[in-house]
Amino acid sequence: MQIRDLPYTDPGEPDTRSGPRFLFWLGRMQLGGQFKSLGWGLLHFLSIAALPYGVGIAVEAVVAGESGGLAVAGGVLAVFGIGVAVGDLMLHRTSVTNWITAAARVQQLLARRTAVLGAALTRRVAAGEVVAVSTGDVEKIGWFVEALSRFTAAAVTVLAVCAALFVYQPALGVVVAVGVPVLALAVLPLLPPATRRADHQREKAGRATELASDTVAGLRVLRGIGGEQLFLGRYRDASQQVRHAAVRSARMWALISAVQVLLPGLLLVGVVWYGVHLAQLGRITVGELVTVYSAVMLLAYPLRHFEEIAMAYSFSRPSAQRAARVLGLRRQDAGADGDTPGATQDVVPRGDLYDPATGLLAPEGVFTAVVCGDPDLAGRLAERLGGHAPRDEGDAPVPSALLGGAALDELPLAAVRAAVLVQDKDPVLLSGTLAELLDVPSSGRVSGEEALTAAYCGDVLEALAQASAEPDGDPTRTRITERGRSLSGGQRQRLALARSLVADPPVLVLDEPTSAVDAHTESRIAGRLRTARAGRTTVVLTSSPLLLDGAERVVLIDGDAAVAVGTHQELLHGDPRYRAVVTRETDAEQEAREDRDEIEEKA
Amino acid sequence: MIGLAPPAYDPAAPTEATKLPVAGTATVRAYIADLARRHRKAFLLLVTVNAVAVIASMAGPYLLGSLVEEVSAGAEDVPLVRTMLLFTAALVVQAFFIHRVRLRGAMLGEEVLADLREDFLVRSVELPPGVLERAGTGDLLSRITTDVDRLADALREAVPQLAIGVVWILLLLGGLTVTAPTLAPVVLIALPALLLVCRWYFRRAPAAYRSEAAGYAAVASALTETVDAGRTVESLRLGPERVALSDRRISEWTGWERYTLWLRSVLFPVVSLTHVLVLASVLLIGGFYVLQGWIGVGQLTTAALISQMLVDPVGIVLRWYDELQVAQVSLARLVGVREVEPEAGDADERPEGRAVRADDVHFGYRPGVDVLRQVTLAVEPGTRLALVGPSGAGKSTLGRLLAGIYGPRTGRLTLGGAELARMPAEEVRSHVALVNQEHHVFVGSLRDNLRLARTDAGDEELWEALAAVDADGWGRALEEGLDTEVGSGALALTPAQAQQVALARLVLADPHTLVLDEATSLLDPRAARHLERSLARVLEGRTVVAIAHRLHTAHDADLIAVVEDGRITELGPHDQLVAAGGAYAALWRSWHG
Repeated sequence: MQIRDLPYTDPGEPDTRSGPRFLFWLGRMQLGGQFKSLGWGLLHFLSIAALPYGVGIAVEAVVAGESGGLAVAGGVLAVFGIGVAVGDLMLHRTSVTNWITAAARVQQLLARRTAVLGAALTRRVAAGEVVAVSTGDVEKIGWFVEALSRFTAAAVTVLAVCAALFVYQPALGVVVAVGVPVLALAVLPLLPPATRRADHQREKAGRATELASDTVAGLRVLRGIGGEQLFLGRYRDASQQVRHAAVRSARMWALISAVQVLLPGLLLVGVVWYGVHLAQLGRITVGELVTVYSAVMLLAYPLRHFEEIAMAYSFSRPSAQRAARVLGLRRQDAGADGDTPGATQDVVPRGDLYDPATGLLAPEGVFTAVVCGDPDLAGRLAERLGGHAPRDEGDAPVPSALLGGAALDELPLAAVRAAVLVQDKDPVLLSGTLAELLDVPSSGRVSGEEALTAAYCGDVLEALAQASAEPDGDPTRTRITERGRSLSGGQRQRLALARSLVADPPVLVLDEPTSAVDAHTESRIAGRLRTARAGRTTVVLTSSPLLLDGAERVVLIDGDAAVAVGTHQELLHGDPRYRAVVTRETDAEQEAREDRDEIEEKA
Repeated sequence: MIGLAPPAYDPAAPTEATKLPVAGTATVRAYIADLARRHRKAFLLLVTVNAVAVIASMAGPYLLGSLVEEVSAGAEDVPLVRTMLLFTAALVVQAFFIHRVRLRGAMLGEEVLADLREDFLVRSVELPPGVLERAGTGDLLSRITTDVDRLADALREAVPQLAIGVVWILLLLGGLTVTAPTLAPVVLIALPALLLVCRWYFRRAPAAYRSEAAGYAAVASALTETVDAGRTVESLRLGPERVALSDRRISEWTGWERYTLWLRSVLFPVVSLTHVLVLASVLLIGGFYVLQGWIGVGQLTTAALISQMLVDPVGIVLRWYDELQVAQVSLARLVGVREVEPEAGDADERPEGRAVRADDVHFGYRPGVDVLRQVTLAVEPGTRLALVGPSGAGKSTLGRLLAGIYGPRTGRLTLGGAELARMPAEEVRSHVALVNQEHHVFVGSLRDNLRLARTDAGDEELWEALAAVDADGWGRALEEGLDTEVGSGALALTPAQAQQVALARLVLADPHTLVLDEATSLLDPRAARHLERSLARVLEGRTVVAIAHRLHTAHDADLIAVVEDGRITELGPHDQLVAAGGAYAALWRSWHG
């Protein structure tokens, strides 16, 4: 697998039974790359370990006064030098490739899993976990998978050097063979407290960043009403806490660095001491002494990989566990576990929409408005009308809404979503250009322009053209910031409405689509909305008289049941409960009106 | 094909116009000089400690060299014990000072970093409200998060490490020169090739790494959005598109990974070969010198070992140099905020009375395009004025002018005879407050969230303010009362509660004039109705300009101004406008039936 071939056409079906199993699965999926990395790593580390051999020959030749030996040393250095350079380059290339392919695979798996989970994610604690896996864990997982090959190469090299030394000069070999494991393991006990302190520092830093960005996000409030100094003081505290935590963490890492210098150094002292002694006895040559010294000095490099793999594992284990948990999530509702959302070619059901729980009926092709005093109740009703509503455990089962007599919850999810589109109270504008925003699966009957006109988005287009980075300011190519934060609440609502109109589903359920829109604009939208949805089933949950006046059929829901049906004007004059809800009369006003009506009647 | 062009798509390219200034090179240099001055002592200390560590590290090669010299000369009484004790002592000194170097480096980096981020926030909160309103907070937000993070990486590691690496290299070269003066120039043989390749690499690397990082962040943010918008994604059947988007982001990101890997594929072999070349030249040329009797074998051994030690510091310098370049860009963005002049305002501009007057006011955001035209308006103290009209007609802009955030292009806008736009922001807000639909709840305690309006307020006053907006009920029910942590990541307040907190702040700030810009529009109708009742109590006796999207707000006002296409087209009390039978009357009838 090469980087240029990414992304994978199919990232595979991961083993999510446990964290270590997931890591193992990832490694197995890119076994070829792992072996390549191991091979190049061996070339690299062994070449480095062999360099002292050339140094020794050179010193020996010089001592013996032979210029021929010097030439041999030059040849040896050249060969191993090229080995080091080629090995280093290829080890780096294969390691990075392994890291990237592992990371890309996990990101792709996450993207596929979240797309399947959809609405089910927002109800679960899992939402935060998915984000944590994607932003932080993927790197650590990729690191461990990749480092494993490098570590293996380093470990083999260390063993080989010890063995070679042992064959070459058994006594020195023993000193090094005993010393090396001590070196490899010495800093391990220091790593857990060091990583704990590093975590603590990250936590503090995260808190400080949060405070800063929160202060900036609310800066208009602060500038408008005061309190800058209060918030600056608070931030200074947090910032200084980060500093203290960072220094505290650095103290530990400084200690580790010192140990990493001291211990190999002591081994070196031992080797030299013993080596000089042997050289004096004439058992080894001076050149060999230099070789051994130099080899032990260079051994520090592969030894660092022992610490790295220990750290990589301790970091990646919880990450892999979390990733396995997230990737193992499944939807709970029946008929929704198809792994390719939207791909099914099921027949889209049609007919009247009926909710048995409230008795609400929305006839096919009719623009129905629903008035419901309680916004939470309205939200649940809208969700039910869409079928496959995400349910918390322990919720009492509610009968499914019926479309053309078929229970939506029983039908395949893809077919239901194709038939009914529910726009909830808080529709999210996905970031991208306006053109991308309106590029949703649709019937193709309503163009983006028509939808934008129907939702009265003229001023939004103007604002986008102004914010455009390009001089010509084409609003459809202007990026809308995440969740449309640069737009006002009313503008966001109208864009979301335009998007739903473009989708042009057979049944459209809108929950308070214009609650943040001013009355002038709302009254214009009300008329255009009905035209845009002509011949299609539309259900609007609202309490705005301007929208209600535009509906063909208005249903009042009181408590849990539909209690009145008619047009806006009929209900307004005929039903006091309806009047109270939609005109927002206070009790006092209502009494006054009733009194007046009575007087008029008597008169 | 040899070589790789950078990918065409650059995820780090700005997607919207940068709205705040970015500092020029001169400003950045001056700022760095200022930082260096502030931290001179710590920096010198770091360099000194580092020098001691490096000098101690050369004891090993030096002692081994002298031993080799003596053993090869066949000396019988080598002072082995003394030499080994010296070696051990040097090692302990080296280890101790390495510890100090790491610690001092971190302390210096952290101090500089703390200075930087605190400076930046100080500057940010001094920005004039007009600049904030125009630029939005997005640009500022990305500076305080992304740029501060990038600088943190650079300052925490790059600056100390580079200082360490450069000193290290110089001292090793110095040690080499002292050991074998004739051999030292040999090290420079490999230098030209290394410098050439480094130049090539560092011209491309910083921008490429920035794009690579942005590309990787885009992978995660696409997924975060899919999660965040789970419901929307499912209902609009966007699942396959989101998967395709993630795949596209991955291919954009890995394109940059591939490019930077290519850059390193050029750099790395040159660096490794340089090391080997240096070692081989020292050994071969030095060996030749020894054979000629110009230097001793001990000197050669020491020189060879020292040149082997060059690998580490050279690696450090190469590793961190590009971070420094990236950091420079971020620093320019942070320092750029300093270039916005804080608006001092004219402290002599003091209002007498509370009457608000607009006299033939014109205003536009862009030259040549006026959003407001010929606006003339008088609002007597205690009046409730409602602004109604279609979206984009200029209601919000008029509200901001009335709150002193922008000054009119022509015409006069005064509060009690004093020009609002010329008054300092601190003076304006003691008279006028603007409340919009953005009711930000700050991360922190409920107390801090309220106290920002009046920093010297005691708990009792805070409770009174909450009671005034009907919020003491849920407030008292909180387990930790005013100490309860609210805001993102802690207790999330409902939109209605957030709005009540915003209103309680107003009670505490106590301005005599209020501009409400669709303050309740994000609330559901039931919450809005409840809130308007508490609002009425807060507004009692104050001058109120309400930008209303619900007609009943207009109905209750003393005066209604219909704003259409930048002009005030209808002005008068409710009954008068209804009787006049204009646009407002038509709307009212369809609304009220």
